Amino acid sequence: MKPLQRKYEALKKILREAYFEKEHAEVDEQWQVNAMRRIKGLGPITSRPNFLVFFERFVWRLTPATCLLIIVGAIIFLKLGFFPDYDVLTLFINDTEELSLAQLF
Amino acid sequence: MRNQLSRPSDAEIIRRIIDGDVNSFEHLLKRYQDHVLRIVTKHIPYNEVEETAHNVFVRAYQALPGFKQEGSFRQWLSAIAVRTCYDFWRKRYRSRELPMSDLTDSHQGWLEKTLSNQSDKSFHEKGREKEARELLDWALSKLSASDRMVIELVYLEGLSVKEAAGLLGWSVANVKVRSFRSRKKLETLLTGVISA
Repeated sequence: MKPLQRKYEALKKILREAYFEKEHAEVDEQWQVNAMRRIKGLGPITSRPNFLVFFERFVWRLTPATCLLIIVGAIIFLKLGFFPDYDVLTLFINDTEELSLAQLF
Repeated sequence: MRNQLSRPSDAEIIRRIIDGDVNSFEHLLKRYQDHVLRIVTKHIPYNEVEETAHNVFVRAYQALPGFKQEGSFRQWLSAIAVRTCYDFWRKRYRSRELPMSDLTDSHQGWLEKTLSNQSDKSFHEKGREKEARELLDWALSKLSASDRMVIELVYLEGLSVKEAAGLLGWSVANVKVRSFRSRKKLETLLTGVISA
């Protein structure tokens, strides 16, 4: 093992130990009282899902299907040639005689 | 035995809370506050621990109707705690409130001394945990919030990729890729410090 790599491995071990040596936070009763005050301030919860939550879940579930639909739609449009200006132009170029006759009537 | 019988189960408490008994949440708070604090302490600066732990319980309370009884409440709460810590860092990085202190000569000196003197003594015995912790904080502050969380969970705590993915609510593949990349970033940072 190279000296730099060896030093790095040693440092990794030291840092891992330092991570676990972090001072443990102690909380008093006041912390509990404050937490419960915040909770009570929110009011009772019901098992009935909130409309917004339901909508959010529904929208996210539909996301892959929507993306797929957009991609498929884009491919279809490209295959069919969704270019109206180009279509009108080719009509004029290929069929000028019939078009001018039709315009007379 | 009597205590066990009189002690309501998590499922029973949750049912009561959902039925509108907000005060029952206090049982869950008392039962799990140490567990939540242990998680939060590992990821968040000491002076922010109390506030973040509050946020964990508020989020848990709001999300209770969505709790599926299939898994344990403890595991579900752990995931909420880890995600709250992740959100804390995201917010911090976004508002650029991170202490971007550079390493001082004292850190550099400590590092050289510690690494050159690779004896069987651990770093506790040398009484220099503070420098190690500061060096770790410095390295972590150079990473993004998501890289930081992955490094802490997988690399430092030694959780499996699957466990970390479950806690963060990400896919296993995402955690695997991020773990590899963030480990490389950390390695570059630390080897840069060593070879300086």
